[in-house]
Amino acid sequence: MDLFQNLIFGFGVALSWQNLLYCMIGVSVGTLIGVLPGIGPLATIAMLLPITFNVAPVGALIMLAGIYYGAQYGGSTTAILVNLPGETSAVVTCIDGYQMARQGRAGPALAIAAIGSFIAGTFGTMLIAVAGPPLAELALKFGAPEYFSLMLMGLVAAAVLAQGDIMKSLAMVALGLLLGIVGTDVNTGVQRFSLGITELSDGIGFIVVAVGVFAIGEIVANLGNPEERSVFTGKVKGLMPTWADFKQSVGPITRGTLLGSFFGVLPGTGPAIASFASYMVEKKIAKDPSRFGKGAIEGVAGPEAANNADAQCKFIPMLTLGLPASSVMALMLGALTIQGIQPGPEVMVTRPELFWGLIASMWIGNLMLVVLNLPMIGLWVKLLKVPYRFLFPAIMAFSAIGVYSVNNSSFEIYLTALFGVIGFIWIKLGCSPAPMLLGFVLGPMMEEHLRRAMLMSKGDPSVFVTRPISLGFIIATVLILVVIILPAVRSRRGEIAG
Amino acid sequence: MPKLRSLLLTAAGLLVALATSASAQSDYPNRPVRLIIPFPPGGSNDVVGRMIGTQLSQQLGKQVIIDNRAGAGGVIGTEIAAKAPADGYTILVISLAHAVNPWLYKLPYEPIKAFAPIGVMGSGPNVVVVHPDLPVHSIKELVALAKQKPGDLQYASAGVGSFQHLGAELFKLEAGVDILHVPFKGGGPAMIDVVGGHTKVMFSSLVQTTPHIKTGKLRALGVGSKERSKVLPDVPSVAEAGVPTYEAVNWWGIVAPAGTPQPIIDKLHAALTASQDTADVEKQFASEGATVVKKSPTEFGAFMVSEMNKWEQVVKKGGIKAE
Repeated sequence: MDLFQNLIFGFGVALSWQNLLYCMIGVSVGTLIGVLPGIGPLATIAMLLPITFNVAPVGALIMLAGIYYGAQYGGSTTAILVNLPGETSAVVTCIDGYQMARQGRAGPALAIAAIGSFIAGTFGTMLIAVAGPPLAELALKFGAPEYFSLMLMGLVAAAVLAQGDIMKSLAMVALGLLLGIVGTDVNTGVQRFSLGITELSDGIGFIVVAVGVFAIGEIVANLGNPEERSVFTGKVKGLMPTWADFKQSVGPITRGTLLGSFFGVLPGTGPAIASFASYMVEKKIAKDPSRFGKGAIEGVAGPEAANNADAQCKFIPMLTLGLPASSVMALMLGALTIQGIQPGPEVMVTRPELFWGLIASMWIGNLMLVVLNLPMIGLWVKLLKVPYRFLFPAIMAFSAIGVYSVNNSSFEIYLTALFGVIGFIWIKLGCSPAPMLLGFVLGPMMEEHLRRAMLMSKGDPSVFVTRPISLGFIIATVLILVVIILPAVRSRRGEIAG
Repeated sequence: MPKLRSLLLTAAGLLVALATSASAQSDYPNRPVRLIIPFPPGGSNDVVGRMIGTQLSQQLGKQVIIDNRAGAGGVIGTEIAAKAPADGYTILVISLAHAVNPWLYKLPYEPIKAFAPIGVMGSGPNVVVVHPDLPVHSIKELVALAKQKPGDLQYASAGVGSFQHLGAELFKLEAGVDILHVPFKGGGPAMIDVVGGHTKVMFSSLVQTTPHIKTGKLRALGVGSKERSKVLPDVPSVAEAGVPTYEAVNWWGIVAPAGTPQPIIDKLHAALTASQDTADVEKQFASEGATVVKKSPTEFGAFMVSEMNKWEQVVKKGGIKAE
């Protein structure tokens, strides 16, 4: 079989000691920057790019790719331990992962995140090998109307995210949409809500909001309840997941992997969307949705699998078409062009060692990450025993460094502090920040795609139902609405009848 | 006499100051030099700036540190450089955007007066591409189709005020056609949309586009430079293909804050020229679809003014500035 031969050839390339070393360096650096908030793969790869000019193209690409997906692993660590999202995509992991840590189950949370990521990574890698080019062609069929309908479906499904008071959740989504509007309007170049502050003209950074409301807000709230502080240091229950944990996680990991692969192939969806989608699906189909937000292992397993599958599949458009799905991919394309390689379908034929070598190395890298991360769990959990008078200032310092490093801007630190205060107020008011972040992520993208679709159709809204893929999403949206509204209607009827 | 004494002291102080500043200049640089790139990693400014930065480190014998200060279309990083001490230890990468921003934003600095030009690094033209489904094979056919159905044809750009946007607006003015602008957040997403065939036309930067032209996913109609590009020798220039006055070329240069001593400027200019002569830079520029361009500091200064005037017309006539 051709694929089999190609894979063997790929492993031959990836298993050379230089390439193993590059892979090792890549995933280690990736894990490190994943753990640190803010410092993301983009800045790291940009800094390391000149070094790679003197490395063979395969080695360079293997290392840079390792940094990228390694960061996805590392990002969950601080999310679970201290409610600090190390990467954008780890925000969702904060919701239940941190609650698990508070219940003394940081070990199982970290383990299931690593295992879920590994399974997703393996699947993603296989997907690139088996069906990369046709999938990329399919993804190109998505234009503005398709993306808008897809996101509309996402926003409607977000009603599931609501916890407790539905009005509060809706208000938080709306707030997220508003915060997402800040910055320069894509269509006209007009400044919106930037208050004449130059730094706001590119909008509010996701990492600023996430670190502010999750990490800083949580610290402030903790300082307000001194009696609660000892809660989760005392009772660390086991480092590895139990059999029951595994059984609970199989479904979420499978679904998360599939969802993540779907979103990963589509170049027009940002990070975190795959994780949000997985979380919403798990909560919707769970027998007892009320466990979510209180330390449900499904809420860690699914999203972590989703974000790693998403990260792997983002390589599909880049490797098979030479089209960058994100700025990190654009940077890797740049690295290849400087090496004199033009990415695209012909790379598979003209430079097979590059394509198959990278794919094999991605699987090896994922394996290395699990091996690297599982023994570390004991060490990480010990970190929780560090007294708060050391831990809190350390989290604050790392948050500040991380947030600063995104744009080398001290303004972002002040803004994070402001969101810390806002996050504290939300905790006091019992408003969950997750729906807000979803609105914040989806809002600007939905607006952009909606207005672009209308611009291209000259203001004719029928474009959303005349294009088959878009129509499919619209129908699905309506179905979801029915599913959500129906039980409510039925129970009210019951009340009236009774 | 106290007066004379103070006068002597002042004179002595001045001499000392002069001597130290002279020695400060002659042993320049004695610490790392910061090269501000006012755009995020990965874009053309960053790639070109880093290539030259690496070479400058070797020429100057001190590390040149790349400092990405992105935001507001380059305004944030440019402002930091404008306000930095004029001692040669902070220098700035600028590009076409520098000549366009004055007409789009209220700037916190003087685009010409606040800077001392050092030299141009290189330049790269745009290229007019269409999705293969569109039945046009030349600039003339594109103009004909656009004239047939004004406002029907659509082009993708990297955003309001981007090189891709301005190049298209210049084309509309020079060719007298009406094509609808569909802005995206960056060149990557715009390119994906055109390759996918949703928007059909793009005035893309050559750097990004060459691979897709070579694989036939996009059809090239013309390049924006007066001469043909070495990367695409078969593609005519837009000027020879029917719009004789058209020229849309992005350029990248290095400036220092105004008031930087002339000897330092000269030293940096010499280092830049030497960097441009290395085989590495030539090869890397070529792979990016860019060419090395050399201009003396004075020539560069005059060029900046002429570019500002050229794009002011495009921004104003094209109605690009948002109110």
